[in-house]
Amino acid sequence: MNKAELKVKGGKLIKCSVEIEGNCIKTIRYTGDFFLHPEEYIEKLENELTGIPASPETIKTIIEEFFKNTEITLIGASAEDFVKVTFNCLEAH
Amino acid sequence: MIWRIIPLTVNKASVNMAIDSAILDEVSAGRSPPTLRLYRWKPSAVSIGYFQSVNEEVNIEACRKKRVDIVRRITGGGAVYHSYDGEITYSVIIPESYEGIPKDIISSYEVICRGIIKALTWLGLKAEFKPVNDITVDGRKISGNAQTRRKGVILQHGTILLDLNIKEMFNVLKVSKEKISDKLIKAVEERVTSLTNVTGMKPDFTKISQLLIKGFSESLKFTYKFNSLTPAEEKLAGEYDKKQFSSTEWVFRR
Repeated sequence: MNKAELKVKGGKLIKCSVEIEGNCIKTIRYTGDFFLHPEEYIEKLENELTGIPASPETIKTIIEEFFKNTEITLIGASAEDFVKVTFNCLEAH
Repeated sequence: MIWRIIPLTVNKASVNMAIDSAILDEVSAGRSPPTLRLYRWKPSAVSIGYFQSVNEEVNIEACRKKRVDIVRRITGGGAVYHSYDGEITYSVIIPESYEGIPKDIISSYEVICRGIIKALTWLGLKAEFKPVNDITVDGRKISGNAQTRRKGVILQHGTILLDLNIKEMFNVLKVSKEKISDKLIKAVEERVTSLTNVTGMKPDFTKISQLLIKGFSESLKFTYKFNSLTPAEEKLAGEYDKKQFSSTEWVFRR
């Protein structure tokens, strides 16, 4: 299990944990004290990232596309912060 | 629109969170009016934000020993230690379409927090809103707030610290034993405060409740009646308590 955390400057904390199997994301979880509305969307994001190849380009695209949804409001962090903490997590051992 | 105010009640953690959800449903259905409720937590409890990991944030063993409850909120944000003796929690539950409440979530925090700031001002304190979701006195946090929007309704709940025992707080929140040093305690004392600290004496729960009611009703310009939960809310709260907030699955889901 890889773990990483990111304290957003002037914002909140995002923690990420990833389990890789083969070259794919087996499980991924984001925790922390950020705000995401509607809250249930965090599970949607985690589901979208599950099973995909653990390549930075794919992950970046999925996260960025996900947060483009106008129904979503993210407070205390940005889509880029989610990308960053996920990258850090993949590099962590 | 005449609001309902549910004056200071004392409940266990899961019931407090279940009541918020029950009121939210009934306000959404148009069967309950906009509501302000004030409450305390008995036993003392830790509430964690929707996205937090209970294992990462809470010293579960210490909570068991001290009989401190643990509950997961439906709102984001951080872990809070709700000491029975040291804080008052409020919930404001109103339709999203309520006049004067910004659609933008960050702006709406500030508008709703004005009620608390007014109350603190009447105590002679210089309180300020600190984005995203805090209120500070002399630059130190005295109130934390969290909001969700579901079913066309805004639920904002938050705490006002009356008294703060940092050692007790660190015992139940996950901070390693070595970290509970004098140095860290000092660092927290520089960032967090309580009404006892800033006024020099422990305030009366009834008095603070009255000031909060006056503060919210003046800042949001509403008239009100005191009332309790409706039978429908009582029933829903019982269900939410049992099926969601008391369940290990919900508390430990992250």
